[in-house]
Amino acid sequence: MTSMVVGSNLLVDLVRGPRPAEWASLREAAEGRLEGRDLPTTKDEAWKYTDLKALSARAFSPAPRATVDISAYLLPEMVGTRQVFVNGHHAPHASCASAVPAGVRFLPLSTASEACHALGTVKNGEVPELFEDLNSARFEDGAVILVPKNLKVTLPLHLLFLTRADAPVAVFPRVLVVLEPGAELELVEEHHGEGTYLSCPVVEVRIGEGAILRHERVQRESPEAFHLGTLKAEVGRHGQYHSRTLSFGARFSRQHPWVRLAEGAEGTLDGLALLDGQQVADTHSFMHHAEPNAVSHQLHKCIVDGKARAIFNGQVRVAPGAQGTDAKQQSRNLLLSETARVDTKPQLEIYADDVKCSHGAAVGQLDPEELFYLESRGLNADDARNLLTYGFAADVLQRVPVASVRRSLRQLVMARTQAASLGVLA
Amino acid sequence: MLSIKNLTASINGTLVLKGIDLEIKAGEIHAIMGPNGSGKSTLGKVLAGHPAYEVTGGEVLFEGRDLFSLAADERARAGLFMGFQHPIEVPGVSNASFLRLAYNKKAEAEGRDELDPLEFDDFIHEKIKLVAMREEFLDRSLNEGFSGGEKKRNEILQMAVLEPKLAILDELDSGLDIDALRVLGDAVNRLQRADRALLIITHFPRILETIQPHHVHVLSGGRILKSAGKELALELEERGYDWVLEASAAGGAR
Ligand SMILES: Nc1ncnc2c1ncn2[C@@H]1O[C@H](COP(=O)(O)OP(=O)(O)OP(=O)(O)O)[C@@H](O)[C@H]1O
Ligand SMILES: [Mg+2]
Repeated sequence: MTSMVVGSNLLVDLVRGPRPAEWASLREAAEGRLEGRDLPTTKDEAWKYTDLKALSARAFSPAPRATVDISAYLLPEMVGTRQVFVNGHHAPHASCASAVPAGVRFLPLSTASEACHALGTVKNGEVPELFEDLNSARFEDGAVILVPKNLKVTLPLHLLFLTRADAPVAVFPRVLVVLEPGAELELVEEHHGEGTYLSCPVVEVRIGEGAILRHERVQRESPEAFHLGTLKAEVGRHGQYHSRTLSFGARFSRQHPWVRLAEGAEGTLDGLALLDGQQVADTHSFMHHAEPNAVSHQLHKCIVDGKARAIFNGQVRVAPGAQGTDAKQQSRNLLLSETARVDTKPQLEIYADDVKCSHGAAVGQLDPEELFYLESRGLNADDARNLLTYGFAADVLQRVPVASVRRSLRQLVMARTQAASLGVLA
Repeated sequence: MLSIKNLTASINGTLVLKGIDLEIKAGEIHAIMGPNGSGKSTLGKVLAGHPAYEVTGGEVLFEGRDLFSLAADERARAGLFMGFQHPIEVPGVSNASFLRLAYNKKAEAEGRDELDPLEFDDFIHEKIKLVAMREEFLDRSLNEGFSGGEKKRNEILQMAVLEPKLAILDELDSGLDIDALRVLGDAVNRLQRADRALLIITHFPRILETIQPHHVHVLSGGRILKSAGKELALELEERGYDWVLEASAAGGAR
């Protein structure tokens, strides 16, 4: 065991945990960087609004293997294209890859050592974020997806991460997605759980020239969970990466999506967070226009009720020489209570001159003109409010390509916005 | 059906309606014309119950009931409908499910059976034929990204679904192409019956050739300055509003 000098109990416990032998160099590098590091505090600019005290006060142990009935989580389009992980461990009996087309590799990391050289190579800065390093130091399993050149996969793939925590545990799911040039794929990544736990996933995506990945990310962790996720996507020339992060669960969640666009590439980072009670959801995104003529879209929406708090920090960097960049960013937030809070900040760094960058941020209540319109058609004030709140969120779900996912998310949003009785689900 | 007596209303402390008197009987079609900013849309919104307007005086009876004792949604369920000059976009809510919801709320209030999605499907297909709307508009979000004319068509679709006793149509004709104007004008005529009434707000006599009014009123500066038969619309088209205003100032236009 390596000795560590770390300031908080959380990090001491985690770095003393089990240390699987594979991916040794990735782990050692991460451990080296973790040495002497401590959890960020609210004095760090990037963590100004998100206090990790509740996290550092707890001790998390490694998560034991468990068996879970997954029938409630099966999605009809993806019964034969799913990999399931329970408490961070691959669950072979719950998984089924019989419908995965020939040529596509969709495997647990623990059985795919050929992916070794690619893991950890998508670099989103000089030094990885602390939680990414924690994952690199401690992940036990996860998934590898490799789609060969020009193969357009018609069935979506399902990645399901379930956590069952009887006592506080930590899980570190790891995912690597590589699309060779001209390949196409739809991926649904879901996180569900029960109990108190820390989930620290890292997803690395590499998209070849002209390849297209549509990535739905559903965070439905338990209400007591901490979710600190990293997403890194490198998009090759004229490739496309479209992702939507839909956050419903977790006491505390932080998302770090990072996208690098090569020439002519297209990137989407949409987000939706529905928050209530004491929930905190923080998104720090980074859209990097590294080369000319790339297009990016970001629509981030939050509905915040109770004493919940949403934070959005959307960084967009247009590198020198990235002429013809077209970057759009919208942060729209609906406050449903006096005690709810939203802090939203666009952060544009533009080092080229021939660029189109637009951004907007809005925080507010429902629009009285919209309410009146619905009331003038006979809906009472409560129904009109609930329907508009539902619509505000459902707007982000409209373009979810997998029908069963879209339907179940709409149902969830409907239940959370008291719109279920309206029966507007088509 | 609707009886307006000396109605005054203000917005943000500015008096916009300065004493309106208007009597609309079942089976009648009325038109209101008047210069920009004269208070036409304000009258429609006050009648429909927009919360930003304050009624400062006067009385309105709708089917014998005090209209102002009803909230906007109650007025709608009681059979009042306003087609908006600028319909609102509601993202995330499909047109079809919104229409079914509105229909069922009204059916519930009237003690009629609500329609389930399948029954409503048949029902709405008859209605979209009436307004010549393409089916794909049912699946789109309510008015989101609709062109100006498509929004107006959707207003008349809503009217056809709700079958109101009194429909106030605020500038239905603005933004409509010639064919759409004819189609929607015909649709409105077909919805009109002896126990229903219409109040058409417009700037142009063309729509009044299809939807022929029994009475035309000139509203200016928050007052109705002149009322006459449908020939008044053409006279206004030829002569403008100045002569009405002048005659009124001289105390004789009525
Ligand atoms: N929110 C508001 N605050 C202040 N004044 C307002 C407000 N809304 C409307 N008004 C004023 O009330 C007056 C009447 O407006 P209204 O929209 O009723 O006119 P209109 O007759 O429908 O005009 P148009 O023919 O252009 O549609 C105008 O002078 C307008 O500026
Ligand atoms: Mg008007």
